[in-house]
Amino acid sequence: MGAEGGADDRELMERLARGDREALTPLVDRHQRRLYRIAVGYLREREDALDVVQEAFVKVFQAASRWDGSADAGPWLSRVTVNLSIDRWRRNKRRGQTFSPLAEGDHLDVLADHRPAPDRGVLGRESGERLAVALRALPERQRAVVVLRHYQELSLEEIATTLGMSLGTVKSSLHRALHRMRDTLTEAKP
Amino acid sequence: MILAHLRLRRRVSLLAAGLALGRERDQVLAHLELCARCRSDYEGLRAVVAAIQRDPLRSAEPPLSASVLAARVLHQLERAEAPARRPRYWLAALPVAAAALAALFLAPSVVERLRPEPRVARAPIPPAEPNTLLSEDALARIERNLAREQAARYLNEAGEVLVTVAATGVDCDRKDDRLDMGEATERSRELLERRRLVVDSGEAVASAQGVFDDVELALRQVAELPACVKRHDVELVQKDVEARQLLMRIRLMQRELEG
Repeated sequence: MGAEGGADDRELMERLARGDREALTPLVDRHQRRLYRIAVGYLREREDALDVVQEAFVKVFQAASRWDGSADAGPWLSRVTVNLSIDRWRRNKRRGQTFSPLAEGDHLDVLADHRPAPDRGVLGRESGERLAVALRALPERQRAVVVLRHYQELSLEEIATTLGMSLGTVKSSLHRALHRMRDTLTEAKP
Repeated sequence: MILAHLRLRRRVSLLAAGLALGRERDQVLAHLELCARCRSDYEGLRAVVAAIQRDPLRSAEPPLSASVLAARVLHQLERAEAPARRPRYWLAALPVAAAALAALFLAPSVVERLRPEPRVARAPIPPAEPNTLLSEDALARIERNLAREQAARYLNEAGEVLVTVAATGVDCDRKDDRLDMGEATERSRELLERRRLVVDSGEAVASAQGVFDDVELALRQVAELPACVKRHDVELVQKDVEARQLLMRIRLMQRELEG
């Protein structure tokens, strides 16, 4: 995690904990791109992703004084962002704005729904939409593992630290997620 | 073979995800040579990983610069903290001032009524003590606080409009790459109309004059935009706001005015 943690983050977090608001811009500058990609990979909605990243920094500011200085700030920020993305996903689901994670064998019904996905303009291709459907069909934590691995290139150990999971759980989550996505993508092929 | 297949199944997924290295990788690759089912699995999973790697969202850029996002974060924090953090001392002073005013008008008649009839001769009335609560200084202080409070509120609203513009991302016409300005244009016009009431409060808000001028310029730019505006035009306003560090200055001035 080296690049994302280290003394600079620690110093910025300490300044935030003392209420120094000027420390926020450099912290945002260092992390917002990474956090935005986690949120947009998870939610596949740019507006929602931006809200989540903003909310993540609000939480970081509010909790800066309680931050455990012995740990890197990067994984903590990522974890906050993943949790907020999951919260947002659930809220959208309650409002009926997104697809629900599917039970086994339910994929065809959803894939038969040809409404354009919210990120159609972003991906602009049928394959992009199929990928979005496959990601949305994953259970929440499995999707987080896929996003951290394939949108952030984190190692298994880093994913485990970020999500607070054991290494074995991360491995089996990734294994199941990739298989499930393969099945969804295969079924969705025109 | 079946045992090896079961044992290596998860490792095949990890290899496809680019996570099997060294001896483990060699072991899985050797197994793939012999096991057609695992090979088919591996190819399917590699296709999934390849599809993810082609996803443009992997390299999506955040739509706001760090300074604008930080300003939005601080704005949100301040709004959340506002009721607790901003005790309105002048509000506390109002009942006292009202009571003092009432006392000023009522006191002579009450005193007059309560005063016993002089038996012999009226004693000379001592000169009234100066009413410190109603001194000109106190009234001026209340007035000054009101003006500063009003100016801070005005800047807060202007900041909200400019933050909205900075974050505008809703397309109203994708073909022409145009953005929907929502209520930002209308609110800018309203604020410009209210500007004089706030700015002409004299010495109380003199230190904010520079910020007021820049806010006015920015609001005028926003007010002139149509409801559905070219992205480029919005970006010009955003750049101008950013170049002047206006959101940050608004926030600092707001805090100064709130004391």
